[in-house]
Amino acid sequence: MRWVLPDHIQDALPSEAEKLERLRRRLLDAFRSHGYQLVVPPLLEYLESLTTGAGQDLRLRTFKLVDQLSGKTMGVRADMTPQVARIDAHLLNRTGVSRLCYCGSVLHALPSTLTATREPLQLGAELYGHAGIDADIEIVRLLSEVMRLAEVPASRIDLGHVGLFRVLAARAGMMPEREEELFDLLQAKDVPGLRELLADVAEPTRSALLALPTLYGGVEVLDEARRCLPDEPEIRAALDDLATLAAALADLPISFDLADLRGYHYHNGVVFAAYGSGSPAALALGGRYDRIGQAFGRARPATGFSLDLRELALHLPDATEPGAILAPTVADEALQAMVAQLRAQGEVVMTALPGHDGSWKEAGCDRQLIERDGRWTVEALQGE
Amino acid sequence: MSSITLALSKGRIFEETLPLLAAAGITPTDNPETSRKLIIGTNRPDVRLVIVRATDTPTYVQYGAADLGIAGKDVLLEHGGAGLYQPLDLNIAKCRLCVATQKGFDYAAATRPGGRIRVATKYINSAKAHFAAKGVHVDLIKLYGSMELAPLVGLADAIVDLVSSGNTLRANNLEEVEEIMSISSRLVVNQASLKLKREIIQPVLDAFAGAVK
Repeated sequence: MRWVLPDHIQDALPSEAEKLERLRRRLLDAFRSHGYQLVVPPLLEYLESLTTGAGQDLRLRTFKLVDQLSGKTMGVRADMTPQVARIDAHLLNRTGVSRLCYCGSVLHALPSTLTATREPLQLGAELYGHAGIDADIEIVRLLSEVMRLAEVPASRIDLGHVGLFRVLAARAGMMPEREEELFDLLQAKDVPGLRELLADVAEPTRSALLALPTLYGGVEVLDEARRCLPDEPEIRAALDDLATLAAALADLPISFDLADLRGYHYHNGVVFAAYGSGSPAALALGGRYDRIGQAFGRARPATGFSLDLRELALHLPDATEPGAILAPTVADEALQAMVAQLRAQGEVVMTALPGHDGSWKEAGCDRQLIERDGRWTVEALQGE
Repeated sequence: MSSITLALSKGRIFEETLPLLAAAGITPTDNPETSRKLIIGTNRPDVRLVIVRATDTPTYVQYGAADLGIAGKDVLLEHGGAGLYQPLDLNIAKCRLCVATQKGFDYAAATRPGGRIRVATKYINSAKAHFAAKGVHVDLIKLYGSMELAPLVGLADAIVDLVSSGNTLRANNLEEVEEIMSISSRLVVNQASLKLKREIIQPVLDAFAGAVK
């Protein structure tokens, strides 16, 4: 038996695990200080509630099993956002704003890319109950703060709006499966493919859909969009939202991509993606999804973002703290007091169990406690 | 100062890309046909080329090992295109993806709805999708080359392969019985690169778009 793990599944060994935990605490503390309350949804639940309102891609990505107690099909969560929306809509029953955050493993039956993990450690924050743009501003600011805390260099936040796609797709009058194809082509900015698909769609919808994939870049994109998209109330409102957002977030590295819709199945307004240099894909995704609560019995305005902590931790530099201190196994009150004091200061102190001399450097020690003239002092590790 | 990497394959794609590169003001400093180098510099310090196998181009771009790439539509369909933007049809390295059989084989009878046919190909995904759309069961045999041999030695009823002149088919007593799609090369772009290195990539994109015939 060779102890290999299933494809796209991995352990986190001490140095990676330390980074993951350091980052998790740092980010959850930041969420807490912004008023986001932690919730811990279950690892698995009935399939219907996990995939309600989500698209085919999420359904394919969900591991399924049969509950022997009820005979119903259960799924292992592939995305925690619908779970948190269920908690807000169905369990908390707050009438005002509710801010929730979460961190936990999710499982993907299919990896999202050839090297992606099938067990991302999803961390996110969601804001329910406010339909106005202020909620979107708060969430994008929080995302930017998370990127800063995660020490991701040269980050960029790309904004889009699903409303544009929805209006144009409705105007094109496409069947659902063709709309799915349209969505995929837009995601790939596949202009030749779009031209083929839209051959018999009437103007000006056709030109507008063909223009969408070229509408990316700085704030000038919004002016360009006003020129080449039809002048309709919903489109105007979407572009106004984006302009308001850009003005309110002018100090952040904001850009636009009006064809970038990500998981539009449950999103319906402003969506965004955060990039860091050196990463071949977006690090965090989010946006507005006001309709998902409806499926759980209560429609609530909602916006939020989530990210894979494992991916983010790759960018985190190794801890620079000094190594551990080795304490001898001696029954000595002064020594115990010294050890307790060092630990209280945040030092790592480990006890030298007998018979392992010569292996303590490997265990992570670089200093040791030595008795000199009746006093315990910390000195560099000797004899290793 | 950031720089960009363009992945492309030797041979036809490289030759036909040279005029596009010239339009973007990029001249390679080596010729991959004569040089054994896999990384080729250009007259611009911020642009370099990497020479990869045609089927690997999307993979290099998907993982950001290259920011841009030039790949046939056939290769992109097999790869699936995850993580890539495909904004531009470059109209180069044109050919067709076709079904071919031995002369005299009754292809219409073999592919009547509910029929079953054995097909050898390296384009597994495209072949599967094509026959599924026709409602024909297909047994696929993955081969890596010399596809034309398969029907001659009874390994398969038909092949799905790229055809440009049709000379190889004729030389082996095969004929094209159905065109699946016409193929040309696409410019593919890594999604994060387009966002993070737009100031270098966008002018190249625009120059290519202007130079496409």
